[in-house]
Amino acid sequence: MSVILEAHRLSRSFGGLRAVNAVSFAVEEGEIFGLIGPNGAGKTTLFNLMTGLTPVSSGTFTFRGTQLTGLPPHRIAGLGIGRTFQNIRLFKGLSALENVKISQHTRTVTGLFGGIIGSKTSRLEEIAVEEKGWEILKLVGLADRATEIAANFSYGEQRRLEIARALALDPKVLLLDEPAAGMNAAEKQSLTAFIREVRDLYNLTVVLIEHHVPLVMGLCDRIAVLNFGELIAVGSPEEVQKNPAVIEAYLGAE
Amino acid sequence: MDAVQFLQNLLNGISIGSVYAIFALGYTLVFSILGIINFAHGAVFTLGAYLTYSLAVGQFGIGGILADLQIPFQLSFPLSLLIGAILSGVAGVVVERCAFRPLRFRGADPLLALVSSLGVALVTVNVIQYLVGSEIYSFPSDVYGDIRPAFVLHFGEKLVVIRTVQIIIFAVSIVVLALLGYLISWTRIGKALRAVAENASTASLLGINVDRFILYTFFLSGFLGGMAGSLVGTSFGIAGPYFGVAYGLKGLAVIVMGGLGSIPGAVLGGMVIGLAEAFVPADYSAYKEAVAFAFLFVVLLVRPQGLLGRSQIQKV
Repeated sequence: MSVILEAHRLSRSFGGLRAVNAVSFAVEEGEIFGLIGPNGAGKTTLFNLMTGLTPVSSGTFTFRGTQLTGLPPHRIAGLGIGRTFQNIRLFKGLSALENVKISQHTRTVTGLFGGIIGSKTSRLEEIAVEEKGWEILKLVGLADRATEIAANFSYGEQRRLEIARALALDPKVLLLDEPAAGMNAAEKQSLTAFIREVRDLYNLTVVLIEHHVPLVMGLCDRIAVLNFGELIAVGSPEEVQKNPAVIEAYLGAE
Repeated sequence: MDAVQFLQNLLNGISIGSVYAIFALGYTLVFSILGIINFAHGAVFTLGAYLTYSLAVGQFGIGGILADLQIPFQLSFPLSLLIGAILSGVAGVVVERCAFRPLRFRGADPLLALVSSLGVALVTVNVIQYLVGSEIYSFPSDVYGDIRPAFVLHFGEKLVVIRTVQIIIFAVSIVVLALLGYLISWTRIGKALRAVAENASTASLLGINVDRFILYTFFLSGFLGGMAGSLVGTSFGIAGPYFGVAYGLKGLAVIVMGGLGSIPGAVLGGMVIGLAEAFVPADYSAYKEAVAFAFLFVVLLVRPQGLLGRSQIQKV
């Protein structure tokens, strides 16, 4: 297996607060990599650094050897890193299908002018984009409601739609920020199977932030633990569970 | 006021209201993407009017340092209008580069761009004044070719006069509105614009180059502003480089009336302000703007979010 994502001493400070402090880790191709830690440990900040939303203070982050630090978010997305959000950020006024089609924007070749006048290549592309949109919506089980606006969807459905939208980007890596938040037990169960299915179908590498411990332990190949912006452990679920530093972070020192 | 007078006012109001609508849409587009008012929009309005004038008449002007400087060609009015609007769109892009982008890239408070855009507006207006002077410019009456200047409808003793300019203004505005509506609702670019308007950072994570779409937006905004300036200029003349400033304020009244950031709101607001002005009796026409703003005030008392605006629900 080869390394697909590599963080080297990645840091970010907000004023005097070191939200992420010299974090280094490597994610292998095809793996499901969990990121856990108490509230405020810097998990979401780490995602924001990885996707270019927040500029890094120091350190580097590479994707298949390409330096990503300093690139704008749309370039990083274009290279194949898709993400979802802890607080869902769908385009609520657009339909499910439109939400999914938007992400394919970067993949099409026709420019502004072709898009406006409706040139032949542009129309052919539009058909391809539409078909792919349907295919992905079928996968997440929302095809029958494709033309409804996103605001009408239930919480769980919105989560699935957000994943669908990230998938439409043709990502190599999918970053999921608390995908199970707000789901009931049955939904969480099916989410595990769903993430595995998607990973196999699209040959993805998945990095996910999650609080629900049984889900993380059952789903992830390896887990990294953050506490106060620092990486305190990386390893298989069993190793991490036994690690004294992790137990201390979660339960407090004796 | 009798029925004939009412009809006359109605027609006048609809014609000018349609220009207010396309002008105000320029504000709306930028507001919905960046959440701020572009105060240089009135200056672009002036610039568009002068550009169309120069292209259609074949000389830059009668005053300023460009006085009597001939342009080696003279274009038909429709072509001048189109090219004038396109150049205004380019001016809109320049405004974005000068007044908005540098501040945005340095993470300044968005409100500061309000001041920098006002600065760009003043510089633009002063440069125009330096170049072509502050005389009043009127488009020659034959600028549209051999069309009669007005149509007169007879109602017994009474007359309703529709100036050809008014028909042209209305027709051009409606075509522009329709094209813009198509662009925003049906094309991929429009959908991406809507996505950027709803949440720019999410759009960027989906691979949309937000800065490029901001540029497109400013081009469209400048295009609409320049087009509106040219249309108003042909109808009433260009009353000096500052004439766009007064219309700029009126445009603000229009978008506030319609609801900030709402496209149908800008169109409706334009019509309402245009009609409110048209129904001010001729003897009191100096108070037109006061009446329009008073009307705005009353509307806001009843609907603070504007006619078609959505009320903001503050999330805690």
